[in-house]
Amino acid sequence: MSQQPIVELRNITKAYPGVVAMDGVSIAFRPGEVHAVIGENGAGKSTMMHVLAGEVQPNSGSILVDGEETSFPTPLASQAQGIRIVFQELSLCQNLTVGENVLLGPFGAQRALSLLNRNRAARAAAGTLAELGLADLHTDTPLASLTVAQQQLVEIARAISQKVRVLVLDEPNSALSPRESQRLFDIVQRLRDQGVTVIYVSHHLEEVLGLADRISVMRDGHMITSFDNTPEVTVDRLVTHMVGRKVDKAEQYSLSAQAGTARDEIALEVKNMIVPGAIRDLDFKLSRGEILGVAGLPDSGKDMLADAIFGLVPRDGAVEIGGILLQPGKPSHSLAAGISYIPADRRGAGALLSMTVAENTISSALGAFARLGFLRRRPIRDTAAEYARKLDTRIASLGQKVETLSGGNQQKVILGRGLVTGPRILILHEPTRGIDVGAKAEIYSILKSLAADGMAILMISSELPEVMLHSSRVLVLANGRLSGQLTGADITEEAIMSLATKHEREEAA
Amino acid sequence: MSDGADTHRAGEAMDMRSRRGVDNDGASLRSRIARLAGAKETGVFLALVVMCIFLSVTTDGFLTTVNLLNVGRQISLLGIMAIGMTFVLISGEIDLSVGSTYALAGLSAGMLIVLGWGLFPALVLGLMCGAGIGVINGLLSTYGRLPSLIATLGMLSIVRGTALLMTGGKPVTVNERNGADPDTLAAFEAMGQGYLFGAIPMQLVFFAAVAALGWLLLSRTAFGFRVFAVGGSAKAARVSGIHVQTVKIWAFVIMGVLAALAGILSMAFLPSGQAGRTGLGLELDVIAAVVVGGASLAGGIGTVLGTVLGVLIIGVLRNGLVLLGVSPFTQEVMIGLVIIVAVAIDKWSTRSRSA
Repeated sequence: MSQQPIVELRNITKAYPGVVAMDGVSIAFRPGEVHAVIGENGAGKSTMMHVLAGEVQPNSGSILVDGEETSFPTPLASQAQGIRIVFQELSLCQNLTVGENVLLGPFGAQRALSLLNRNRAARAAAGTLAELGLADLHTDTPLASLTVAQQQLVEIARAISQKVRVLVLDEPNSALSPRESQRLFDIVQRLRDQGVTVIYVSHHLEEVLGLADRISVMRDGHMITSFDNTPEVTVDRLVTHMVGRKVDKAEQYSLSAQAGTARDEIALEVKNMIVPGAIRDLDFKLSRGEILGVAGLPDSGKDMLADAIFGLVPRDGAVEIGGILLQPGKPSHSLAAGISYIPADRRGAGALLSMTVAENTISSALGAFARLGFLRRRPIRDTAAEYARKLDTRIASLGQKVETLSGGNQQKVILGRGLVTGPRILILHEPTRGIDVGAKAEIYSILKSLAADGMAILMISSELPEVMLHSSRVLVLANGRLSGQLTGADITEEAIMSLATKHEREEAA
Repeated sequence: MSDGADTHRAGEAMDMRSRRGVDNDGASLRSRIARLAGAKETGVFLALVVMCIFLSVTTDGFLTTVNLLNVGRQISLLGIMAIGMTFVLISGEIDLSVGSTYALAGLSAGMLIVLGWGLFPALVLGLMCGAGIGVINGLLSTYGRLPSLIATLGMLSIVRGTALLMTGGKPVTVNERNGADPDTLAAFEAMGQGYLFGAIPMQLVFFAAVAALGWLLLSRTAFGFRVFAVGGSAKAARVSGIHVQTVKIWAFVIMGVLAALAGILSMAFLPSGQAGRTGLGLELDVIAAVVVGGASLAGGIGTVLGTVLGVLIIGVLRNGLVLLGVSPFTQEVMIGLVIIVAVAIDKWSTRSRSA
C-alpha cells in the first residue's frame, strides 16, 4: 500500500511546562482505513488528537494534508479539511432535540438572520441518522431524554452530518454497552466502506484487534511503532508495546480463583430495593471477603445501584449492615456505618479536582483529623503520604492538585480516601473506566488484597472482562431486577450476556 | 500566612516548588521564594505595592500615619462584609442582599437604642437580623433549589422594603434628644467613632479581628475545608459525606451576621441612617473587592488574605484619586477599570499556568 496519506504528522513536538506531551511524533493516516491509536494514559494520544483538531498548536513539526504542508491554527481550519473529532466528553446541547443537535454544524454556519427550513432540516437529520443505522432515534426527541450511550451516537451523527474525510473517535465506547458498541463498530465499518478514514483511540485492545486495519502505539510522548493488523497480532503484543515491558498474564488478568473468597459473615444486605425509574425490586447479600461483581446492560438499573445503596438517590426498601438499617438520603450515615463509595464519574463526583492530593485523601474523614474543629496538618500529611505509598500513587507532592494527575492516579487517590475511613464495605462503580492497562492491573491487585483481609467489595462494571476475571460471584441485572447470579467456572461472557438480555428475548418471544 | 503543606493556598505553592525540582521537605530560601511566587495573592499584592509607591511619590498626603489610618477606617466596613462574601463565593454561591441587610440591621439597632434599650440587647438583635436573613438566603438556595443569584436578589428587595416599612422612610438618628440613654449612647458611639490606644479607629480594629477569625476559620478548620470542597464539587463533597446544604447555609449565615455588624458599626459612626439610602448598591462593591482579591464566582477558589488585599486596593485607589484631585465622576470610571483589569490579569495568568 503505497497510497498517499490523507493526513500525515511529521516530527510533531509539543511541550508544556515540565512535560513533553509529544516528542517528534510522526504518523500517517491512509484514506479509507481504520487506524487505531493506543497507549497508556499520558502517552500523548489526546495531545495528538488536539493537534489534529486545531485546538493545540505544536512547537515544531509539520502537518500534511493530501501531501501538502498545511497548518491548523484554529479548529475551523481543521474542519475545513474535513477532519471531525468526537471527543470522549459529550459536547451536545441538552436543551435541543436530537435533530437540532445533529445539524448544529450547518445551522451554526448560517447567517444570523437566515431562516431555518425546519422540515427540510428534520429530513436531513433523519437521513444522517438512517445512514448510521440509527433510524430508531427520532429527530424531534429532546436530547436530554436519551441515555448517555445514545447521546454518544448522536454526537457521531453530528460529526458526519458535514463533509467528513477523517473521523477521529476518542474512546468512543467507554459509556456503551456491548450491544451499542456493536452498533458503533457497524458504523465505523460503514464509514470505512464509504472511504472515510477513521482514527480510533481506545483502551479496549480486543476491540482494536477486531476493528482496526492499522495500529499505532504511543508511549511517553513517543510514537513506538505502527503496523498493519494481521491475525498474528495479539493482545499480549499490544500490551508489551504499550508498557514497554512484558506484563505477566497473571498480573494483568489474574485468575478468578484468587478474586476473594466469601466468608460466612454477611456484611451488607439489600432487601426489596426500589429506585424509581431504575430498580424495580432487588435483594442480595454481600459477604465479607468476597468481590461481588454486578453486570448488566446500561438500562438494567445497575448504574443506580451504588448511588442508591450509599444514599445519594431516593430509594425504597432496606439496606442493612450488621442489623443496622441505613437511612436513605444520608451519605454521611452510610460512611459512618462502614461503607466507602468510589463513584463512576471520577472527575465529577469522585475527586475534588481543585484540591490537593492530601486534602482529597482525608476529605471523608475530616473529624479524625480535626481537634476542636481545627485541622491538624501533620497527621493529615502523614496519612496522605502513607496511602500514596501503599497504593503506589505517582505524585510530585502531596500538595499537587488532583486535576493534574492522570486518571489512574486520580483513581488511586479516591481509593485512598475510601480506605482512610477504615470501611468494612467498599462499593466501586466502573473502577477502571478510562484508566490505562498498568494502573488497572494495580487496582485489581489492591482490591484482591483488601478482600483477602476481609473487606466486602461490591464492584459494578460495564466492562465484562473486569467483572468476569476479578469477581468471585457475579450478579446480573436486567430490567431493574436480578436476572441471575453466577459463581466460579460458570462466570463466562456468554452466560452474563445471556442473563443480561433474558428479559428482552422473553419479550420478543 | 500559611507555612504548611495542607492548606489550599500553600498546596498550590508546593506545586510550583516540586516543578522546579526543589526538595519536598526542604524549607530553603529558594523554595520560600518559589512558594511566594506561586501564591495566588502575589499579583494583587504587587499591584497594591506599586499603587502605594506611586502615591507616596506623587502626593504629600498619602504616606502619613493619619492618612493611612483614615484609609483603614474607610475600608473597614466594606472589608468586614467582604470577609463574609469570601465564604459565600468559595462555597459556590453569591449574596446580593448584603447592602439591604446592612441597612436593616443598623437601623434596627439604632431604633432600639432610641427606644431606650441597652447596648447589648440592641446589638444582639441587630446581629440576629443578619443571621436570620442568612438562614433564609441559605434555605432558599439549597433546599429551595433556587439559584442564589435569584434568591438573594429577591431578598435584596424584601429586606430593603422591610427597612422602609419599619422606619416609615424617615431618617433614624441616634441621639439623646430622640430618647437614647446617655450611657448607652456613649458606648454605642465609642464602637463606631472611638480609637484603640487613642490612634487606631475602632472600625479598623473590628475589621482586623474579623479578618483574623475569618482566616482561621477558612484555612485552618474542618468547616473551612468543607466550604472549599462544596464549592469545588458539590457531588464529590456529598460522596465524601459532607452535608452540602448545611455548609452553604452556614456560609450565608456568616455573611448575614457580618453584613449586620458592618451596618451597626456604620450606624454607630454616623450615627444616623435612612432606609432609602443606607448601603444602597453596597453588595456590588463587596463582590468587586472579593473578586479583585482572586476569589472565583464559580466557587472553590479564594482566600481571606486575597480578599483583604482586594479591599485595600479599592480603598487605596479611592483615597489616592481624592488626593490627586481627580473628580468623583472620573473616580467611578477608574474603579471600574481596576476591577476589570485586576480580574483579567488573574484569569490570563491562570490560563497560562494551567495550559
